[in-house]
Amino acid sequence: MTPERETATARNARGGGEAAFPLTVASAAVAAAVLLPLVWLVRTAVAVGPAEAVALLTRPATVEVFANSAALVAAVTGASILLGVPLAYLTVRTDLPLRRFWTVAVSLPLVVPSYIGAFAFVSAFGPRGAFQRALAPLGVESLPRIYGFGGATLVLTLYTYPYVYITTRAALKSLDTRLVDAARTLRHTRWEAFRRVTVPQIRPAVAAGSLLVALYALSDFGTPAIMRFDAFTRVIYVEFTTFGRDLAALLSLQLVAVTLAILALESRIRGDGPLYVESGGRYGDVVRLGRWTAPALLFCAIVPALALAVPLGILGTWLLRGTSGVGGATLGFELAHVFNSVGVSAAAALVATAAGLPVAYLAARSRSRLAQAFERATYVGYAVPGVVIGLALVYLGTSYAAPLYQTLYLLVFAYVVRFLPQAVGSMRASFLRVNPALPEAARTLGRTPAGAFRAVTLPLVAPGLLGGAALVFLTTMKELPATLLLAPTGFDTLVTRIWAAYGEGYFGYAAVPALILLGVSALSMLVIISQEGYDVK
Amino acid sequence: MTTDESSRRRVTRRRLLGAGATVGAAALAGCNGLLGQTQDEQKAPGGRKAVGQIGSGRSPFGDREITGGTSMADMPNMSGELTVYSARGEALVGELIAFIQDLYADLTIKVRYNSAAELVNQIETEGDNSPADVFFTVDAGSMGELKNDGRTVSLPKNVLGLVREEFRDPDGQWIGTSGRARTIPYNTKQFSKSDVPTDIMAFPDANEFADNVGWAPTYSSFQSFVTAMRVLEGDAKTKRWLRGMMDLGVREYGDEFLVSQAVADGEIGAGFANHYYIQRVLAGRGGEAPIDTAFTEGDAGAIFNVAGACVLKTAENRTLASNFVRHLLSAEAQDYFARETFEYPLIPGVEPIGDLPTIDELNPPKGLDLTQLSDFEGTIELMREVGVL
Repeated sequence: MTPERETATARNARGGGEAAFPLTVASAAVAAAVLLPLVWLVRTAVAVGPAEAVALLTRPATVEVFANSAALVAAVTGASILLGVPLAYLTVRTDLPLRRFWTVAVSLPLVVPSYIGAFAFVSAFGPRGAFQRALAPLGVESLPRIYGFGGATLVLTLYTYPYVYITTRAALKSLDTRLVDAARTLRHTRWEAFRRVTVPQIRPAVAAGSLLVALYALSDFGTPAIMRFDAFTRVIYVEFTTFGRDLAALLSLQLVAVTLAILALESRIRGDGPLYVESGGRYGDVVRLGRWTAPALLFCAIVPALALAVPLGILGTWLLRGTSGVGGATLGFELAHVFNSVGVSAAAALVATAAGLPVAYLAARSRSRLAQAFERATYVGYAVPGVVIGLALVYLGTSYAAPLYQTLYLLVFAYVVRFLPQAVGSMRASFLRVNPALPEAARTLGRTPAGAFRAVTLPLVAPGLLGGAALVFLTTMKELPATLLLAPTGFDTLVTRIWAAYGEGYFGYAAVPALILLGVSALSMLVIISQEGYDVK
Repeated sequence: MTTDESSRRRVTRRRLLGAGATVGAAALAGCNGLLGQTQDEQKAPGGRKAVGQIGSGRSPFGDREITGGTSMADMPNMSGELTVYSARGEALVGELIAFIQDLYADLTIKVRYNSAAELVNQIETEGDNSPADVFFTVDAGSMGELKNDGRTVSLPKNVLGLVREEFRDPDGQWIGTSGRARTIPYNTKQFSKSDVPTDIMAFPDANEFADNVGWAPTYSSFQSFVTAMRVLEGDAKTKRWLRGMMDLGVREYGDEFLVSQAVADGEIGAGFANHYYIQRVLAGRGGEAPIDTAFTEGDAGAIFNVAGACVLKTAENRTLASNFVRHLLSAEAQDYFARETFEYPLIPGVEPIGDLPTIDELNPPKGLDLTQLSDFEGTIELMREVGVL
């Protein structure tokens, strides 16, 4: 494989140069657009005096919560890989029964808002929670502590591992299994073949998913607060609740700095070598699970069962327990909420995929620092808490784009700023696996560069494109802070209905929209994967 | 490349484009469904509907007739479009606002719901371009912040005159629309009312509550209470109190509804919460739950705060905006707050509901007015220093 890589790299350098200029311009435009909110952050943060800023950033409490956040990010990322990669392997490469069902089921935890998940885990497994009360007759006096580092890691992992799952799955879908076959004929065991052939092939995709997990864990507001874990975002949250926008902005910039460090780290880990062989991807042979079928099924069932059944069960208990009369009239369900959720999420997925395409392609094809910088820039908006991005766009919208303020256009733009890297990461990993010799062959047969891209490259990266779009779609379905700040007044989505009920303590009323959110997302996932040509045998 | 493979790729590509088209169509359908404005089609022009009790008129604590106060029927007509930023949840006030809108043929009220902190941040960030006319919120602190930032205008005298002096801003920039008392919810199976200290400062030494008491330090009403303690007792004593509570093993909850639920469940024996959460727990459990209300006397634990409203500088029609605020102080709205959200009405003649003392029987601390509760930042710093936040 090594000589093959070298020639390909050499060819790659040439290939990247051809369409480079328009691509570079497009990538630069996308990067600039999603970095716009930083303008407000910087502008607001400089309002903090230098002395106060240094004091705030270096005081022991800040340093301590930073260490806490770092530990949380590391633990959640590691655990997500341990869940996401085996699940992807099982649902793509093996003869696991009902693979399409499991694919949807294990992706779904992504649409559960993390504060609902965390709240449910505390209600279920907290001291004298539902679980302990159910076990009390058996003499169970107390359960292991759910609060703190362990609980925060558990909850965040359960709701973020699908990032690793979906990106890895896309990579495995387009894996050329003849490489595995070749390794096997060279007397490699299944494990050796996996380690030496499959792992290098899926590494960029796993890294892309892990990066999304890490940055999510870093910027999430809700989970650490509910799990009583003192993470960095809690400090930002406190500033916001006391109207200290300048300090919140300053702390968010610090978060951006950490993000840049994580991005640099990931660049080193992910391995940037192109990962293709002469032919395109081929998806063929299937690993027979045999007697491992039952344990594999159990694994596939337990993870989503924990992540989905616990919140639904808890919300259901509240529903049965009853709520006082007020509120029922205004918290009712309307079909429009479903259309609104699906509409804005689909629009965000489309725009993010279209905008991410040149960035991802250029980053995979060109070794230039500029191309890499554009790709990395798309992650900044993702790593800043949603409420900060929301306020930044409130400022930009009211100051410079008044006609767009509180319209769906600005709302979708906010989603793109927040979730673009989910599309970019997945697509970039796919482009890395496409051998540039293939579109070149099409060019020698008389195709234009664009024609060769459409006819050859695009079909090869389709799983990555759809995977990225699915990620953006699912996370937009649950997005709350930017939606509350930027949606047209009176525009309600499923998640704002969940919030409206949950926020006032009408937990039971949150059950219905939460259930619908899961159902609608599951259907959408089915539509998305059916477009891949997923053949269930 | 075999013909076979290339044809397979074409199929994949078609599928991909198909997926794009499907998603695009869904997006359009969603947006259209939403943009189509279908309000105000069934309102008769001119006249207004008869005013009556809002909602079912039923309450878990019994039915009643409205007696005192000014009816909406005797208030000025409203017409035009009004944008309200509401930190009070839709579950609590949605029905009331819909009722007011339906009263007038030519009135459209657009309501934007979010938490108080985010709406204040949003209004301040929007600056002079804010579309908001009225801010309807949960405490005096958030209105004080907007006032200090110069975002509010004075309310007319005939609105301000509807409530007692202590329930409105001295400069007339905001007004209370309903009241909430700080209370000690306690579990009646574990304690009797006389077991609960009547002095808030005595709690850290009340060993019967060790590992058996709860609070919600991130909740704004709790922070107002700590602010009041700082004003009344000073920072040093407040710190000692907070530390003492932590040494006692106080349990933390996300909000005071959860504190009250935990008290009713027996998870904790007592807690710190606004009075209406106890009533809501009781109402949610058909009036049957081992939870009751205790009060401390004349100290920070007994402060009486208000939910209220203010008119913003950016209001296009200030008369319309202040008339909306006036409607929140009508007999019907005040009765609604008492029956449906279990708050204290602030106009004379409308009484609270449930097993609660009247407003005049409460013992709030003397010499403390609500504007003194706006120094949230100092409170947060103090709570952080002690390690509560």
